[in-house]
Amino acid sequence: MAMVGDSAERPASDDPFGLVAGYSPLPGIFDEMMDADRRVRPHWRPLLATLGGLGPEEINRRFAAADRHLRDSGVFYRVYEDPAGGERPWPFSHMPLILDAAEFRSLQAGLIQRADLLEAVLADVYGPANLVRDGRLPAALVAGNPEFLRPLVGVTPRGGAHLWLYAVDVGRGADGGWWVLGDRTQAPSGAGYALENRLALSRALPDAYRELRVERLAAFFQAFQHELSSLSRRDASRVCLLTPGPMNETYFEHAYLARYLGFLLVEGEDLTVRQDGVFIRTVSGLRRSEVLVRRLDADFADPLELNARSRLGVAGLVQAVRDGNVVIANGLGAGFVEARALLSYLPALAPMLTGSDLAIPNIATWWLGQAAARDNVMTRFDQMVIGSAFFEALPGHHDAREVVGGTLDPAQRARIVEAISHRGVDFVAQEAVTLSTMPVALDGTFAPRPFILRLFLARAADGWTVMPGGFVRIADDIDARAVSLQRGGRTADVWVPSEHPVADTTLLPRAETIVVNRATGALPSRAANNLFWVARYVERAEATLRLVRVLLNRVMEADDATAPVVARISALLVAWSAVPNDLPNARPTLTVLAAMQRRDLEGALPHHVDAARSAASVIRDRFPPDAWRALVDLADIIAAPLPAGAPDIALFDRVNAALRIIASFSGLAQENMSQLIGWRFLDLGRRIERAIVTCRFVRRLATDVFPDGVLDALLELADSQITYRRRYVMLAAPTPVIDLVVLDPANPRSVAFQVDRIETHLAVLPRQSAEGRLSPPQQIATVMSSALRTTEAAQVDDQLIAETERSLLRLSEAIAAAYFTQHEPSDGKWEAPG
Amino acid sequence: MIYDVRQVTTYTYASKVSYAHHVLRLIPIDRPRQRVHAAALDIVPLPVERREGSDFFGNRVTWISLDHPHDVLIVKVAARVAVDGAGEPGAGGESWERVRDLAFAVTDLGPRSPAHFLFASRQVPLDPEIRDYAATSFPAGRPMLAGAIELMRRIKDDFVYQVGATTVSTTPPMSFALRRGVCQDFAHIMISGLRGLGLPAAYVSGYLRTIPPPDAPRLEGADAMHAWVMVWAGWESGWHGLDPTNAILAGEDHVVLAVGRDYADASPVDGVVFVSGRQKLSVAVTVTPVSASNS
Repeated sequence: MAMVGDSAERPASDDPFGLVAGYSPLPGIFDEMMDADRRVRPHWRPLLATLGGLGPEEINRRFAAADRHLRDSGVFYRVYEDPAGGERPWPFSHMPLILDAAEFRSLQAGLIQRADLLEAVLADVYGPANLVRDGRLPAALVAGNPEFLRPLVGVTPRGGAHLWLYAVDVGRGADGGWWVLGDRTQAPSGAGYALENRLALSRALPDAYRELRVERLAAFFQAFQHELSSLSRRDASRVCLLTPGPMNETYFEHAYLARYLGFLLVEGEDLTVRQDGVFIRTVSGLRRSEVLVRRLDADFADPLELNARSRLGVAGLVQAVRDGNVVIANGLGAGFVEARALLSYLPALAPMLTGSDLAIPNIATWWLGQAAARDNVMTRFDQMVIGSAFFEALPGHHDAREVVGGTLDPAQRARIVEAISHRGVDFVAQEAVTLSTMPVALDGTFAPRPFILRLFLARAADGWTVMPGGFVRIADDIDARAVSLQRGGRTADVWVPSEHPVADTTLLPRAETIVVNRATGALPSRAANNLFWVARYVERAEATLRLVRVLLNRVMEADDATAPVVARISALLVAWSAVPNDLPNARPTLTVLAAMQRRDLEGALPHHVDAARSAASVIRDRFPPDAWRALVDLADIIAAPLPAGAPDIALFDRVNAALRIIASFSGLAQENMSQLIGWRFLDLGRRIERAIVTCRFVRRLATDVFPDGVLDALLELADSQITYRRRYVMLAAPTPVIDLVVLDPANPRSVAFQVDRIETHLAVLPRQSAEGRLSPPQQIATVMSSALRTTEAAQVDDQLIAETERSLLRLSEAIAAAYFTQHEPSDGKWEAPG
Repeated sequence: MIYDVRQVTTYTYASKVSYAHHVLRLIPIDRPRQRVHAAALDIVPLPVERREGSDFFGNRVTWISLDHPHDVLIVKVAARVAVDGAGEPGAGGESWERVRDLAFAVTDLGPRSPAHFLFASRQVPLDPEIRDYAATSFPAGRPMLAGAIELMRRIKDDFVYQVGATTVSTTPPMSFALRRGVCQDFAHIMISGLRGLGLPAAYVSGYLRTIPPPDAPRLEGADAMHAWVMVWAGWESGWHGLDPTNAILAGEDHVVLAVGRDYADASPVDGVVFVSGRQKLSVAVTVTPVSASNS
């Protein structure tokens, strides 16, 4: 697009540094930054002045800093169409949308009116249904809405409301007025992304942010958090954020918001409904929750009374709502008011339900279930956008929710006209809206692009509070009508400059931070299980890498003396299903390649690394972001193709790099995770797995005869050569090696050391058995540790090691039974309510 | 006719279930032309919680929770129900186009409102082929009921009743393409066709008398739970039961258990259990006339 600038026509005060000299609004389209005479609107001038003053290089540096922040914090968006379930990097546009404070105030008032209106509609259709009886809403428009959830009819929600968080998409028309394009009430997304965008941009442009006195977002979230927390009647109960899980497109936001607001991130299987309420399955037993922030579509929330095919919900949740045992925000069924067909009736309902006309009109809409509207629309068919009345794809157009009448070919047109004549109830017609544009940085300059603005309202103690900011989605195309992140496009921050000084102007980075006290002990069993298995898989990957490295070392110094080591280690890898059993022993490089690369073998490295990453992905909110990145790096390095030629050296480098990443993962988990109960499960997993693999190393290498080099290999596997050499100035001999690797409680790689740590953790975990008795896992650990403590190195034999290994496997199962699977006792003795 | 209804539903699980929630729609209620004299539900193991109520469509519902580890769940129904034969539906009535327009314009959201039965539902998608199949029975101006009865007879003629040809997860378009199925499939196909034309159609679950009267043929579906269709023919004419499996109007032999948009609304036992391995379900039904008088 050509943007021939003529900045000379513009007063210099507009844009003193010529930052947008080449920028021109599109003909006939409202531009947020510039009027039709190419004058910069007053509320954009401070930003251009501050930004321009930085100079182009500094601007680029700042924008790059924002990108780095987003990347480092792990913001992503999952793309459904990607067959690999890929996550795409966050498409951030650095130029914020500036909204004039007075204009924002009037938007605010109009949106509060709309939130009240939608709440009133919900209260009526799930309550007395007067709107239908009085002929103000057609019964078919209610009954045909898939989000009209019949099991909720007649239920007054606890807390007195269906809507707690409401998002609304608005766009500005050619005349400069705002239109509501759509309402989001099911499980509105974007508030967390708005926060992420804000953090990134305010850190990158602290001077402009301060200069413009941009309204802070924290107060909005605090009000929402406070209101939801106040709905719990019992002190001990936790507010939960119910997510469909990591395969959801906005899972990052769920985890992010849960962490930011101090809510517990749960999936359906973390919860269970009992006679007197909703409970979280935790490692300490059942813990009550009275408030669920719902990011799961309502239909999936209860397989018992809603969609029986749902594997994401909680059986009995509808009953818990009916009994008033839980507040769900937003309420089950609140998605009803998202239906497009409703847009055609809201203008007429507003005066009756809110006392005045809609302050902000919504996009003109006709529901075609009524003959008069149908006839009217048919005369202007080509100018109209035809859409599904509710949420499904347009009948006969499987991939589209809407089509523009004038763009249809004669056959398509005939088909849709016939469908409307049969079942007009399924369709709406809407007037096309041309969206306004805002500046986007493209190839070193700024260009206008259409956008949709999403604004957020939260219910607070004294009514609705509006987030003074929002979430902008910008189209890639100049004339895009529908803008969706799934289809491309970018996002941007929204700045509302204050007319007054804003609070906390001196503590910018902290201004967005809420101080939260997380209760301890409410670790969901599923999270504990995943932490445990992440650690086990990482440790198993490390053991495999160490075996591979020992092999590679022998390959490089190949002679007859290394043959026994190569044979024994290859046999161990075969026993682990890390390599197939038909590889020639004489070619250890093939063994190494298989263990490193075979995706079809469940003992090979790719399996362990993928398993670790997938277990970690469902508990991302509990990991230090850097530890998560280490796992991603590990997966990347394992998956990368090997360079042709010099395979041994390339493999050696890769093994060492992978081991370094694992060391950094373990270090990050150790140093950066609060040493609460979750960390203990992570460390338990690591210790159990390390003890098991060390037992296997010992049995394979050091419990029968000792050909040349096997004891050295064992020391190498147990990373204990240096200690050994320092202690014993002699060649490796069986008794001291076994003492060091098995029994020495001071060697952090010995079996005894692992068992010692296991005992320490188990003693601190919530007790799951009667007063004064050791829990089943503790009993196993205690027997093991006494056996190790009372055995002399010379007595250690295959039988003792094998017994220790079996005990470790039983211990893992006992921990799972006690803390992860939650088979409650049949006498109803789960934890007493709150 | 007065019937004694006995149904025993048995779930056998491959492993112990420690906690379970179920929703039961197994107790018949009074309906037009149906009076329930007595009904009882017996559940083993004994539920820790049991409550009675109604669902949106007015069906009697029993919610139960079981907290005793169990690998068998047995639900027994015993009921005595009096059923009147349906009168002749009357050949005239509204045209189907008129019925469609009336249904679109309804201002009632109550459980029997035709508005609920016009749209795709969980197990009944609207399918263009099924709609076109149904449309043959609805030439312009034809009375609603005449069209619906013809559609019912065509389904009986064109489809093969075959137990095992379909499963609970078979969709109406699949059984339509197969041209075979059981009562539930035929009901769903007929409903899909009618709704595709904008006509209200509901799903009925219930029972048929097990042994036919002397000289009458034994009906399909008589030894299991049965399903048929109700169509709405306008305000005056109201709702009518049509049984596409047997090509008869629902009458003295049909005992209604539950009504909904499709099987998902009317299913007799819903439950969520966590069990490893398979579960097995067996259902035994008998419907025996007590006497013809007194009804």
